[in-house]
Formats: sequence, C-alpha cells, structure tokens
Amino acid sequence: MLSDEQLLRYSRQIMLPEVEIEGQEAWLNARVLIVGLGGLGSPVAMYLAAAGVGSLVLVDDDDVDLSNLQRQIVHHSGRIGRPKVESARETLAALNPDIAIQTLCERLSPQRLEELVETVDLVVDCCDNFATRFAINRACFRHGRPLVSGAAIRLEGQVAVYDPRQPDSPCYQCLYREGEEEGLTCSESGVLSPLVGIIGSVQAMEALKVLANIGRPLVGRLQLLDAHSMDWRTLKLKKDPQCSVCSQVG
Amino acid sequence: MATLTFTRHLDRYLDCPPRSFEAATVAEALERAFDENQRLASYILDDQRHLRKNIAIFVDGHMIRDRRHLSDALAPDSSIYVLQALSGG
Repeated sequence: MLSDEQLLRYSRQIMLPEVEIEGQEAWLNARVLIVGLGGLGSPVAMYLAAAGVGSLVLVDDDDVDLSNLQRQIVHHSGRIGRPKVESARETLAALNPDIAIQTLCERLSPQRLEELVETVDLVVDCCDNFATRFAINRACFRHGRPLVSGAAIRLEGQVAVYDPRQPDSPCYQCLYREGEEEGLTCSESGVLSPLVGIIGSVQAMEALKVLANIGRPLVGRLQLLDAHSMDWRTLKLKKDPQCSVCSQVG
Repeated sequence: MATLTFTRHLDRYLDCPPRSFEAATVAEALERAFDENQRLASYILDDQRHLRKNIAIFVDGHMIRDRRHLSDALAPDSSIYVLQALSGG
C-alpha cells in the first residue's frame, strides 16, 4: 500500500497506463544489484533510486578521483578520496530517502558475486572489465536473474538485456567469448561524458521495464550507439546452443 | 555487392572505412578486406584464423552462426557489421 507521500513522489510515472500502482509496487519491492559506480553506474543508480526501486545494492572497490568527476555524476568534488559506494549512497539518499541502500566497497570474488546475485531481482552491469562481465553473466544465468549489460568508451556504447527466465534468451557469452583480454578502459582511451549518461539511462530504463514487466526489453537484441554520428543500430542476438553458460538453462 | 562495415572503434585504429566486395561468405568478404589492409586480419582473427573472442560479426543485423570458419552465406546486397566488445563503464 503506497503512502500519500509515495503517491505524490511517484505520481508522474504512476499515471502512465503501463505503470500504475502495480508497476510502482513492483519497483518498491525490488532489490537490484549495481556493479560499478562509475560513469554508467551513476545514472543507473540515480534513476533507479529516483524511480523508487526499493532496495539497491551498490558494489565498487574504488575511491572517487578528480578525473572521475567529468562523467561520474553521482559523485562530486567534496567526495574525492572517499569510497565511491559511500559517495553514491549519500547522493541517492538525498535524492530519495524512501529507499534502502546497501554498499559493498570490495572487488567481488566469484563466490561472493554468486551469493549476492541470488539475493536480488535484477543485476545491472556497469563495471569496467571483461573478467567481471563474464562472472556476472555466469552468476545471473546460474541463479535465473535478469542482467542489464552496458558498456561505453570514447563515443561508442553497447546495451543489451540477458534474461535467463526466457528459454531463448542469449547471454553475454553468446555474443563474446571469454578469454580475450583486449579491454580498453575510459582512463586509457577516453570517453565523452554524456555518452555514459545516455547508455546508463538506457540501462536504467531497461531495468525498470524488466522489473515491472513493461514493454519489450532488449532481450535478444544488442543496441549500439555511435555518438559520433548519433546513429543507433539494433543487432539481433542468437542463443548459442553450445554456450557453456546459457545452454544449460531453460 | 556486400558491404563490410567496421565499428568506429576499429576504424579509428585500423583505418577500415566501409567497403563493398563480391563475396559469397563472411570469410570471403573478410579476406578481400584483409588483402587491402593486412593489419585488420590479426585484429579480427586469431592464429587459428577463427574469429577473436572479443569480436562479433552480424550479417543483415543477425549474429553469424559460424565463428570458426565464418561460412555464413551472404546475399548480393548483404550488410556485414564487425564490432568489438567494449569494457568501459
């Protein structure tokens, strides 16, 4: 049962016929894991908090650095040197005191990741390395949790949703194979700040859609953005019947 | 002719703007491109001539099936798109 304050706070989305009270309650009752509180994790966490996702679990082992602030908008100058998860918690709590926030300032071991994924309804991958991306994908498919995956660098971004609850959903490992360590980071290659805002916002939108069962999430589709020309491209993904991760599911 | 396009991320490093080739399979189209730009091959294929793990190829918007031999067939006007995994967050 929503309080009067909640009805007012969330009124502009509750009035949407796709959402209504039922959708808002789904968000308020949801627990979401956000891995990485950097450029993508900032808008993801802020939009999910503002929309009223009831419980957020924030994971990042890094501290806020001056060079982050050009794009990691959940942090600010006064938080330099502090753990990103704590910085993010303060911003999100100010944005919406109605939600619960758990913070973990650590680099998750595969086992810890598995334990954590099992406790949430959905995972948003905002991390900056391939090893973690593949580990998150494995944990999500093992525990049947939908995964909203995003990545961005320079002027290019990629977003997809992998949902093990759907038998024909491919996974991250159907798209890319594990083992190639050709990872470029924003600190090495650069990134234009609104790019992570755009891709992170798409991730937040997809997470809300999946949680409230709205519309058609990006399952089986990879959305690419070339911000240089502002071209969006949608590519169709297929489940790999030989995939060592998702072929065991469904 | 089939059109081969590399994501901007690859184009920036390898100078590989969109090109059109007569080709019946993905492998044939790539070989034509490699003939013109030898640096591309080692970036796209591994030492077994299989698609590298961090590369994905789509034909007419659909992910290819054969990552080992790249035997997926092309239509005369197919559009081939080659992209690289991004890790930045």
